[in-house]
Amino acid sequence: MRFALAVAVLAALSWQTARAAHLAFVVDSRDPGVGVIDMDSKQELRSIPMLREPNHLVLTPDGKSLIVADDGGNALFFLDPDNGNFQRRIAAADPYQLQFSPNGQFLTVAGFARAQIDIYDGNTFALLHRIHARAEPSHIAYTPNSDTVFVSLQASDSLVAISTVTGNVLWKVKVGLTPAGVLWDRGKVLVGIMGSNYVAVVDPADGHEIRRIVTDKGAHNLFYSPDGRQIWICNRVAGSISVIDAKSLDLIRSYRLPGGPDDLDFAPDGKVWVARRFAESVAVLDPVSGNFLVIPVGLSPHGIWLNTHPHKG
Amino acid sequence: MNFFSEFADRGAGWMQEHWLLPLLYQFHLMQWEDISYGWALFAIYGLVQVVATYAVCMPLERARPIERWASQKAVITDVIYTLVMRVGLVPIMAFVAFYTVQTWVNGFIVDAGWIPPSLETIFPVLLGHPVVVFILYLIILDFADYWRHRLSHRFRWWYSLHSLHHAQRQMTFWSDDRNHLLDDLISAFWFGAIALLIGVAPMQFPLLVLVARFLESFSHANTRISFGPIGEYLLVSPRFHRLHHGIRAAGRRSVNYGAIFPWWDMMFGSADFAPVYAPTGDPSADEAMHSGSYWAQQRSGLRRLARALGPKAG
Repeated sequence: MRFALAVAVLAALSWQTARAAHLAFVVDSRDPGVGVIDMDSKQELRSIPMLREPNHLVLTPDGKSLIVADDGGNALFFLDPDNGNFQRRIAAADPYQLQFSPNGQFLTVAGFARAQIDIYDGNTFALLHRIHARAEPSHIAYTPNSDTVFVSLQASDSLVAISTVTGNVLWKVKVGLTPAGVLWDRGKVLVGIMGSNYVAVVDPADGHEIRRIVTDKGAHNLFYSPDGRQIWICNRVAGSISVIDAKSLDLIRSYRLPGGPDDLDFAPDGKVWVARRFAESVAVLDPVSGNFLVIPVGLSPHGIWLNTHPHKG
Repeated sequence: MNFFSEFADRGAGWMQEHWLLPLLYQFHLMQWEDISYGWALFAIYGLVQVVATYAVCMPLERARPIERWASQKAVITDVIYTLVMRVGLVPIMAFVAFYTVQTWVNGFIVDAGWIPPSLETIFPVLLGHPVVVFILYLIILDFADYWRHRLSHRFRWWYSLHSLHHAQRQMTFWSDDRNHLLDDLISAFWFGAIALLIGVAPMQFPLLVLVARFLESFSHANTRISFGPIGEYLLVSPRFHRLHHGIRAAGRRSVNYGAIFPWWDMMFGSADFAPVYAPTGDPSADEAMHSGSYWAQQRSGLRRLARALGPKAG
């Protein structure tokens, strides 16, 4: 009887653990903290305190840590992606947006307020290169071979290409009013033009514009769908999301999603989790119906990451 | 505190989404979107300050006035000061300047291998306890303000600007913001330097200012209120602060410099708990400083500063 009870308790515990492992991490810039949401119950379980003003987060290449960049606190927080437990903290100057290179060798950090782009060693986090880039460096993308990193410069309407190996600026070109999100797509660089209503398709060789894809007002950030067939674009001013075909770049569908849609991530059940910057909530969007569920979170939610992606757990 | 922050954030978010972003987008100014959000927050904080202060102080001034005046024309200028300072562009300009400097200074500190100072990094146990941190910051900043205020009376050139604040003979809760712009600038530098030193979070700053400014406005109210035998020693009351504005206390011989807590006056020998409600004003100030328009008062302050710095000053 005791054995059966123990088995039942253990089974219940392991079920709880497995259930609790489906977590959404939402960076609440102004709380400041990282909200941990149980993806099944849609309830915020807790908030992990940060120092000053965290904005974005990224998984380490080995999948063992989720790094939250606290630019106001000049710190990178390492959290366990399975449960949000604090692992360690390292000092970093003004880390606003951050992205690992595809080969994991480099970590590029955009210092929005200090107008600097730092390229760190992706393993040791030693600073390799600092590029002073006026002004307001924000979003980041790499070439697939990790040789070049592209960073949008919001206040100078430009996109800059930098060699990750030497730290040299390869080119810097005006691409449109207040460029934001950057994405590498089949030999081209896509840039969300937040000061307008389109995504600029740019030649990675010299930055010249090849094409414009009209989405909606305030085209901000771009994300691949899990199967890589679609690109999802948040339009901050319009309060909408546009979906384009990743190959043809034709517009497929739009969703109305007010509240300043910002970063988003894709759940295994097909739902799309979107941080609503000005509505203190996360929207869980059903792409089929276009309806969305609202989960209240902390103040000014910005970055979001779902731990249902493959990682060490 | 969380409820208020949430209210302010939701309001600012709504303003940003429905008014400011479409406006910035229309005029190709989207690079200012972060600043506009900050301004929206400040405007809401400021508006709440003004409304809350009015809601509390106005009934008290009517029910228990210390003085009654036939005309309150001089008070109208004080209302303009308040609106300019609390809802206008001044706070966001100060915030942007502070945030920029803080970002750069802290960045350099980090680059040098140090950790920027903050209460939470010095005392990690405070991390995740924003209310405790908030109270500690409030105490530290009030202590810093005590010395700023005391020094502004100590130096003749500085008091020539600060006398604008003391010139008001019809002191009400609106009088807190009547300051010379140069005096405000010095205060901003003073607070900015202290906040930088102790690592006040930029977005925590407006809430600190809000609470502090409410209490400061209240202490200027034209109302016969004291906080009683114990309360008088805990918080600055209208009675306590009125002694500081008393005609006899103008200039270097003043008392009761504390803005929120009377503790610093008690510690450093400048407290006066006499149970009187003295008439206010500064006999040495020009009439323009009392009853002039906003700009007439500012000009008068500059003239007095020039006299203080001039060859015959002494």
